[in-house]
Amino acid sequence: MARRIFLTFILILLLIIGMLPIFSMLVKSVTVDGHFSLASYGGLLASTHQWTLMGHSMVLSSLVTALTVAAGVPLGVLLGKTDLPFRGFFTVLFVIPLLIPPYIIAVSWFDLLGREGLLAHLFGASVTMATARFLFGLPGCVFVLFSIFLPIPMLFTMIFLRTINPRLEEAGRLVSGWGGVMKGITIPLILPGVLLSAMLVFLLSFGEFSVPNFLRYDVFPVESFTQFSAFYNFKAATAAAVPLAAVTLIVLLAEAAFLRERTYQLRPSPGLDHLPLIGLGEWRKWLFVPVAVSGFAIVIVPIIVLVIQSAGIEAYTQALERAGASLLRSLAYAAIGATLLTFLGFFTGYLIQTKALRLWRSVDSLTIFLFALPSTVIGIGLISLWNTPLTNFIYSTPMIIILGYLAKYTALTSRISVTQLAQIPSSMEEAAQVAGAGWFRRMFFIVAPLARRGLLAGWLVGYIFSLRDTGITMLVYPAGHETLPVRIFTLMANGSPELIAALCMVMITATLLPAGILWMVPGMMTRKVIR
Amino acid sequence: MDGARHDDKKGDQMKIVALNSVSKFYNREKVLDNISLEIDEGERIVILGPSGCGKTTVLRLIAGFIAPDTGAISLKGELVSRDGRIIRPPEQRNLGMVFQDLALWPHLSVKGNIEFGLKARGLPRIERERRIRETLNLVGMAGFEDRKPAELSGGQQQRVALARALVLEPRVLLMDEPLSSLDLELNVRLRKEILRLQEKLRFTLLYVTHDRNEAVDIATRVVSLKQGRVDHVRTMTSCRGPALFYSQQYNIDGECQNS
Repeated sequence: MARRIFLTFILILLLIIGMLPIFSMLVKSVTVDGHFSLASYGGLLASTHQWTLMGHSMVLSSLVTALTVAAGVPLGVLLGKTDLPFRGFFTVLFVIPLLIPPYIIAVSWFDLLGREGLLAHLFGASVTMATARFLFGLPGCVFVLFSIFLPIPMLFTMIFLRTINPRLEEAGRLVSGWGGVMKGITIPLILPGVLLSAMLVFLLSFGEFSVPNFLRYDVFPVESFTQFSAFYNFKAATAAAVPLAAVTLIVLLAEAAFLRERTYQLRPSPGLDHLPLIGLGEWRKWLFVPVAVSGFAIVIVPIIVLVIQSAGIEAYTQALERAGASLLRSLAYAAIGATLLTFLGFFTGYLIQTKALRLWRSVDSLTIFLFALPSTVIGIGLISLWNTPLTNFIYSTPMIIILGYLAKYTALTSRISVTQLAQIPSSMEEAAQVAGAGWFRRMFFIVAPLARRGLLAGWLVGYIFSLRDTGITMLVYPAGHETLPVRIFTLMANGSPELIAALCMVMITATLLPAGILWMVPGMMTRKVIR
Repeated sequence: MDGARHDDKKGDQMKIVALNSVSKFYNREKVLDNISLEIDEGERIVILGPSGCGKTTVLRLIAGFIAPDTGAISLKGELVSRDGRIIRPPEQRNLGMVFQDLALWPHLSVKGNIEFGLKARGLPRIERERRIRETLNLVGMAGFEDRKPAELSGGQQQRVALARALVLEPRVLLMDEPLSSLDLELNVRLRKEILRLQEKLRFTLLYVTHDRNEAVDIATRVVSLKQGRVDHVRTMTSCRGPALFYSQQYNIDGECQNS
């Protein structure tokens, strides 16, 4: 009974944090002076500019999706399935751009390829005329978002490869070489995972506004943000956010219809001790070179550019003077957000994994929907719900930022919990139950300790994503509570390139340092399956 | 245990499978310790032993999924792996295998599962169709071509796994505790099936189990493994009549009581 009541409470909490703002936004978008009206939509639909923006968004996200899947799947196979040297290092390397705010990558490429960038100093302005033309516009946006979202299909491929029972591939190996096995068995088996990653990349690039905004490529999410932040037209901003939510919903419904039953649970295969690896033989060195060059170009070059641009103690002193408070706030909010995300994600994951409530599948869909929803939609939804005199204690305090983190990122910690809990035999909890332990005692003394690696990994992921968040925070932060990503974004308008580069480096360090420390804790990241 | 010597080329050529002083380590732990074994064409060898004694490792070494850390393995006189090196990969060994969990490909139909190997060998469509039809008839699964593995019962899945292994007419069929998940009645019925097919097709059978009854019903020779070493070998040919149903007449060590 205690379990049912508590998990119902978690479900209601999720609905209040995530769905109520969206519902409130929808209602307000069709209400004028207390009456039903579609006036806001009329203006939106009548404008050819809006349709152009929607077209831009579709083209951008389709290109980014096609390219990341085309490159990410082979990369995932190489890193997850072959004996390529330094696979672990490359995996970490390629993931780095996903962990830092997207516009920082754009800033770095601007510092390199822009008209007054490093290349201009090295080769003259004539070269950077061409590179700047490439960077500002669709090709530049596609390139930057490609480098950021490449790890998604790569990681999904690697993870899904680990869920395949090795016996299925060995059965194929008796009659066919690795080429035939990959084509006929392995790839079809991981296809649901690949399609899922494609869907995620599509939705994330569709909702991304900071990179297109910086690289001056007009897309639909920028419209909603601009209507709100530049024109203070909340009605128009809300109306512009609804089509974004609709596209997200349509893509997710398609996923539910076609993929959900085919997407195998992310549970390590029982035969993982003998995961068959493809021996590359002579190809080892020939494949190592392009992987190393890509890693260098996509990840290391942008970081080197920022290091060079920010060189000198002066830039960092100035950075800490002008944004030190924002940095501390960011760290504090991210830590609080991560802790609450771990708590909420753990119980949501438990609810989904144990199917404790009849609505477990809807809960899963809800968290994924919120994660896929563009940040601007969630931000506007939060303002719509909480910006009232009665709830000002939330709206005018950092609580609104934390609520944004919880709404957007619970899917991540929940998924991690599901994966971790799936590895704990139900008999562990049942044995405690038979011994007379109540539900809370079982959760606290049996399930949570067994899932501690998942909890720690969930906290880390929650921390990184809260810290890097720009889209929601930019819209909802109360005066005097801006976080570092927001501070950098606003300083970009008038700050010197050295200062911006130094701030970006501070941001990257703040994001990656905890991950690096935890990575070095012995056994933290090693997989341990309870059998 | 026959002390097969790899340098005895003439002797190896007569043996369809020969393991010569094979050892295997997993994470520095010795799983197989200096195993030697020779198998004649048409024999039914059962490797018997408790969990973790290295039975499955022997099959995986012969299949070519892993290489012996020391020692050599030959198939019909041809060296296929030696001292940590795989010389012939699995697909070039002409072996069939039925896995403990069957490993039927869930995304392919019964026909797709059986056809995969035939396609990999580049057989024309008509030939593939003929072989699939014949093999499904042989295992009593005609009419189930379009079903997915999940739509079959445990016994039917077993037959499909057998058909997939047999369709390529392997010189050796490896079976890794294939009946362990079935109830006793079905288990006994499928043992009969396996024996019938082996007697009809005359393939060499290498069968792994921890069940002594299964071992004595199926084997012409039982090799007992204990902690990665060969404990003892019993030849069952002294027992007359069909191998099946003799299990009652053997004591726990598999010795023939009524020959």
